[in-house]
Amino acid sequence: LQDIAQKAIDRALKSGAEFADLRIESASGTNIVVMDGKTKTVTSQIESGCGIRAFIGGAWGFAATNTPTQSSVVAAAQSAAKMARVAQKKAKIKFAIEQQRAEVKFEKYACKEPPSEIPVEDKLSYALSQDRAMKDRDSRVSSTNSRYDDFEVKRVVANSFGTIITTYETWTLAACSAWARSEGIMQRGHASVGNVGGCELMKEEESQRLGQSAADQALRLLESKPVPAGKFTCVLDNKMTGMLAHEAFGHACEADAILAGASVLEGRIGQSVAAEGLSLVDDPTLERTFGYFGYDWEGIRAKRHVLIENGTLKGFLHNLESSSRMRIKPNGSSRAQTYQNTPIIRMSNTYIGPGDWKKDEVIEEVRRGMLIQGNQYGYVEPAKGQFMFKCDEAYEIKDGIVGQRYRDASLSGVILEVLKNVRSVGNDFKLGDPGYCGKGGQSARTTDGGPHICVDHVVVGGLA
Amino acid sequence: MLGLADKAVLHAMAFGVTDCDVLVSQSKYTTVEIEKGSVKQASLSSDPGVGIRVFKNGSSGFAYCTGHDRRAVLRAVELATAFAKAGTPDPDFKSLPDKSAPRRLNGLFEARLHELGPDEVVALVMELAEVAGDDKRIASVNAAVNASVGEVALVNSNGFRGTQRMTSFDIFAEAVARSGTRMFSGYDAFSSRKLDHKSVQTVGLSAKEHAIMGLDQTKIETGDYPVILDPLGAGFLFAMAIGGGANADSVQRGRSYLAGKLETRLGVEGFNVHDDPTLAWGNGSTAFDGEGTPARKRILIENGILRSYLHDSYTAGKESIKSTGNSSRGGSIWSYRHPPVISISNLVVGKGDSSFDEMLKETKDGVYLRVTFDYPNLATGEFSGLMMESYRVKKGELGPAVRQATMGISLPELFASIDMIGDRSRDAFGVRTPHLRVSKARIAGSG
Repeated sequence: LQDIAQKAIDRALKSGAEFADLRIESASGTNIVVMDGKTKTVTSQIESGCGIRAFIGGAWGFAATNTPTQSSVVAAAQSAAKMARVAQKKAKIKFAIEQQRAEVKFEKYACKEPPSEIPVEDKLSYALSQDRAMKDRDSRVSSTNSRYDDFEVKRVVANSFGTIITTYETWTLAACSAWARSEGIMQRGHASVGNVGGCELMKEEESQRLGQSAADQALRLLESKPVPAGKFTCVLDNKMTGMLAHEAFGHACEADAILAGASVLEGRIGQSVAAEGLSLVDDPTLERTFGYFGYDWEGIRAKRHVLIENGTLKGFLHNLESSSRMRIKPNGSSRAQTYQNTPIIRMSNTYIGPGDWKKDEVIEEVRRGMLIQGNQYGYVEPAKGQFMFKCDEAYEIKDGIVGQRYRDASLSGVILEVLKNVRSVGNDFKLGDPGYCGKGGQSARTTDGGPHICVDHVVVGGLA
Repeated sequence: MLGLADKAVLHAMAFGVTDCDVLVSQSKYTTVEIEKGSVKQASLSSDPGVGIRVFKNGSSGFAYCTGHDRRAVLRAVELATAFAKAGTPDPDFKSLPDKSAPRRLNGLFEARLHELGPDEVVALVMELAEVAGDDKRIASVNAAVNASVGEVALVNSNGFRGTQRMTSFDIFAEAVARSGTRMFSGYDAFSSRKLDHKSVQTVGLSAKEHAIMGLDQTKIETGDYPVILDPLGAGFLFAMAIGGGANADSVQRGRSYLAGKLETRLGVEGFNVHDDPTLAWGNGSTAFDGEGTPARKRILIENGILRSYLHDSYTAGKESIKSTGNSSRGGSIWSYRHPPVISISNLVVGKGDSSFDEMLKETKDGVYLRVTFDYPNLATGEFSGLMMESYRVKKGELGPAVRQATMGISLPELFASIDMIGDRSRDAFGVRTPHLRVSKARIAGSG
């Protein structure tokens, strides 16, 4: 593969590219979906292909082929250079990609039990057991979904600086959803685990309790009321703090949004953007987490990035282009979903750092507010400066006591205000659920987390 | 491609499976993106591949491989077969669709779009950016134009053999307006199976105008307000609320708020919704569905009464009825990478007789919701989401953009409180819908 990569890069350069890079991948994976005690689908994926970029004077050309033979990849390189020339004719913003030190590295991420060596029957057995665990939990559990995913890929990233990074990457994920019904009311609970690593994950205690956790959440929600709408002081649990870090601020720190003129954080480096003492970090170097990687998809060594330190905005997440244009060093934040996609700036493990409050103290300080637990999904528009996220469960807090359970709360806020409204930060730091972040039509495996925090003036949307 | 699909089906059946379908596809995408008014990237990718689904005792195994290499396809057939045999038996599976002739349909493939070169795509996206940026308050325009072509061959073990060619034209623009410290973005998009030059102007203009409109901002007090839903907001919401809610698999498993509601009143008189894969140039149009059921129009809600769910062969077999042809291979250009799932094709909300201006005039103190990207809870039928782009309506006049506000309403209440239906429709997120006015929804604001 490395020989094919070199020939393709050479062809792109001969065709006029000032810089070229590529990703050749060969991958396999399994996906199992069990519904109501029966397998719905058992899927095998076999992928191979190459995506190649050529850069000329401020514009990129990209071509992808899923026939990774030498002739196809070299033809794709020529095609990428042609597309770059077409784009460059109309590029108004001119810049160059700054030369970086060539890196040649072979990496194999830690994996005790490679999925390709585990029989599909064992994976099915795990998914079926978690499905059964949901049904066995309580007669009110009326429907169940259990899912298992694994993915193994060999990826070669090469570029015209001479970098060649070969990575063997394996990740696994399992998720359960339970629907519970009682007296005409229906609720859904869910739980998931994931890691960069192999099937050893399924033996961990949390993985073995996955079905039970999902069923318990659905059962708890049967005894909930629609959440009242309004503005509240909210205590966010570890998962929701993570979602706040990711949605409310992380996306606005991606330098491609800054270059596009589409982030409210443009021009604010060095300014106070959060409460004193608050830190926000993106760290792809945490091994085994779902957001882990060693080198990014442009061949740059991954690093821990401090985005906010003591309330002050310190920096952004960069790729080769944004770092070249902003004249700083690239910090390894570029990823592509597959060889079919161009690498874009992504978060990895994003979190708010721990403070010094005990979790109970964070809650006890609240006179009238909400405790918000578990994340469903969230999204942000950095150019509008607004974000929202949806939680699994919410509880009323009255004079520091947690009471009535609510459901279907959505929280919204303004990027430039929300972190300034953080009143207290707990010391109970934890990374939350694994998940997939969507951006530009691509998904990336990520994790987020943090401690319990208390935030004033959060708008909670609800039906009551 | 039909020959390769035939061979794969024969190979699978030789392994003793009961049913099998094979999708062989070849697609090509040309995309040009603009960042801050400058052409940033031009992409060309081709994506041939084969997806194989087999059934043994009702248990389904699926495998795909990239490319059309015969050995790789046969290997994928073997994997799919082994996976089906490893799964649990499912007596609810009856059969894949019977042999039938694909419907003859115009408006799936446009030769002009197929032949569009990268230079022409660049010219279109440049024009889009120029229109969207034509105001001194617009600080940045990000935009993209995509031209895609797909060809598929689908064969199943009951004798269905079908091929079709599909094109897709997709454009998107985001204009960012600035005024002092204020900033707002306006966005719009368009998708069709044919090149529509006029849409370049309308999308660009709409992105620009909404970015500028949003610079004037206000807050709103928490309370109940009438809400006018733009087709963009209604399209995103209804794709999930009706498309997801009426998914027969969710209904049969008792996971949908629409379970048990067939032939009952769901919305007001005059609220009509149907699914139509035969719309000329509709982005979800198709001659046959992802399993080979011929395309046909299906009424879902008629004058407020729920008339049908969306079925594939599995859910239809479970009830001994015919599939509604809603088995989807994903998107306007089919993908071989996933087994088919139940989905809308083109969901159409019937038009009414109110103009947008009349809706505004009738709204003394309310909100116009243009964009939300929130999903309803399909188990409870409750919706609570951010009004990402919305505007205050007072005394019949459109006012400033509302900051940091959410809308909450149960879906049955939403359908039952539609009191005005627009007289003009547009396509958004797979849904063709007019503006709709809802008489009351719970708005949580920061005012």
